[in-house]
Amino acid sequence: MSQGRILVVDDETEFTSTLGKVLRRRGYAVETRSSGEAALAALEEAPFAVVVLDVKMPGMQGPEVLAAIKRAHPETQVILMTGHLSGGAEGDVPSTGAFAYLLKPYPIPDLIAIIDAAVAETPGAGG
Amino acid sequence: MIGESYRVLFRSLVRRLLLVSILPLLVIASANFLLFYSLNRSIVLEQHASLLSYHRQSIEAFLASITAELTNLAQAYSLEELRRGDLERVFRVIQQQGIVFTDIGIIDSAGNHLKYVGPYDLSGKNYRNTAWFAEVVGKGVCVSEMFLGFRGVPHFVVAIKRQDKGDFWILRATFNTDYFSTLVSGARIGKTGEAFIVDSRGLYQTKTRFASALLAPSGCPDLTPHEGIRVRRASVGGTRYLFTTTWLSDPHWMLVFRQEESDVFSPLRSATLIGIVMSAGGVIGAGVLAVAVARDLVRRIALADREKEALTQRLVATGKTAAVGEMSAGLAHEINNPLATIDTLQTWIRDLAGGAPIAEEDRQEILDSAAKIGEQVVRCKAITQGLLKFARRVESKPEEVDLNALLAELATIMRSRARVEGITLSTDFSQVPPVIASPSNLQQIFMNLVNNAVDAVAGRPGGEVKIASRLDGGKVRVDVADNGAGIPPENLSKIFLPFFTTKPIGQGTGLGLAICHGLVHELGGSLSVESVPGKGTTMTVLLPKAPGAGQRKTENA
Repeated sequence: MSQGRILVVDDETEFTSTLGKVLRRRGYAVETRSSGEAALAALEEAPFAVVVLDVKMPGMQGPEVLAAIKRAHPETQVILMTGHLSGGAEGDVPSTGAFAYLLKPYPIPDLIAIIDAAVAETPGAGG
Repeated sequence: MIGESYRVLFRSLVRRLLLVSILPLLVIASANFLLFYSLNRSIVLEQHASLLSYHRQSIEAFLASITAELTNLAQAYSLEELRRGDLERVFRVIQQQGIVFTDIGIIDSAGNHLKYVGPYDLSGKNYRNTAWFAEVVGKGVCVSEMFLGFRGVPHFVVAIKRQDKGDFWILRATFNTDYFSTLVSGARIGKTGEAFIVDSRGLYQTKTRFASALLAPSGCPDLTPHEGIRVRRASVGGTRYLFTTTWLSDPHWMLVFRQEESDVFSPLRSATLIGIVMSAGGVIGAGVLAVAVARDLVRRIALADREKEALTQRLVATGKTAAVGEMSAGLAHEINNPLATIDTLQTWIRDLAGGAPIAEEDRQEILDSAAKIGEQVVRCKAITQGLLKFARRVESKPEEVDLNALLAELATIMRSRARVEGITLSTDFSQVPPVIASPSNLQQIFMNLVNNAVDAVAGRPGGEVKIASRLDGGKVRVDVADNGAGIPPENLSKIFLPFFTTKPIGQGTGLGLAICHGLVHELGGSLSVESVPGKGTTMTVLLPKAPGAGQRKTENA
């Protein structure tokens, strides 16, 4: 269905593993990582169309990881997710370069729709 | 307790106000008294002196004039003319001129009375052996001291010697002292001031204002002739007198002005009395004013204190809201994360259950997922229960509080926030006695401190916050330590100031530590900070233990 590979990054491993299973069942190629550093390493190995990225994590924080991804892999779309919104970060989505900024818990069907939209934005995506 | 502190303030204000108003009053009053005393004394002495010198001049002028008059008479008439009858005429003429002498007579060189005009029968008397006779023979002129003489009445004599053909005769007039008495006793000052004349033996030569007998001893302290005017104080018959004296050039009479000292200084006494009354009035007035001013000031201060109290309470409420807001951000994150997991799990269950029939491995997966949902619910429940437990401490009245229990609850809910930030929050409690405080205030104090500590290490790798309690010198000590960047030395003095914050606008009110400081002080404790830049900050709260604590066993929640 989709050519794009998805990378889910969150220190909540229960969340990443379950979301991975849900997405895979829908035909996505999904990988999961539990830290920003691991996510960047995975991106170095192979490209991803979309990264679903948690904002608050031990170690590298979401915005830092986002900036690193945008520098090294500008074609990759990033969807930020957070347990709480602060500092009006949602309004800053275009400037940070994120595709979307979502508040947890975000309904899974809506999340999948946004992932699809992000994949469609990816350069070279067919259809 | 508050009323007592106002009473202390009131008393201290009254004391100070009295001091600043009464001290100058007394200084001025004393200065006035001394000034008036010396002024009064110099005026009195001046007055006595001028009175005395005026009268001396009058008496000397009078004596000079009668001496001159008699000299003229002796020169103008021959002995024969006078003996024939001119003496009677001359006596009348002189008396008509207003010169008051008692009698006049002529005495020959042997001392025999040749001729006499006057009220007494003195013919045939001989004066050879009298003091005045010797003096007039020697000096040509004599003004005698007062004596009784043949007539037995006090009088004095003015005698002139007239050379006549190898012999001499003497013209003699006698004066009673009424004239002098009138002249001198006119000099009166005050109630007791009187002037009189004494001779070289100190006997009265004139009648005094208070009718002492002539030739009675006057009690004058010093009868040594002296130049000019002299002032002496002496006690006569138990009364203290001020004597002002001067000597006539001739005869040897001393003119005396005598006044009781109490009378001399009676203006001073009345002025002193008036001064004392006025000063007392001033003191009473100052006292009344001081009390009124102090009362008004204390009332205003009490009013300001109440307003400040109300303001502080509003501030505390605001700070509480801010602290809860800060904490709730972490809590929201902690609850939203499991919710997101639960949401994902329920989607997964739906996916698995959607196919029919359900494969055995999917059935197991569904059960696993349901169990995982249960785990997430337990996680959420722990958070909400901790929050509820924390929120239950709404009591704002002071009571005995087990600090360790309160800190443990706080640590539980703060741990959620800490975990989000990747921070280790640890506790290290020793057994401590209870403290007397409002639990809600204690919560606010430590919530602020822990929030600040978490903020200090948020986003730093290896961030740690440690809450520790122990007994320190009879006080309960709580340390909230972080290993963050520390507080720059230039900010250390400002951190307890209201509205001082280094957090971005909208994220910190700058009230937290100011309120903590206020609350801790209200509890009779102290809040201090120790910070090493690059190493971290430790906030230390010292609270007095509850009275009687220690006998009872601490109850742990």
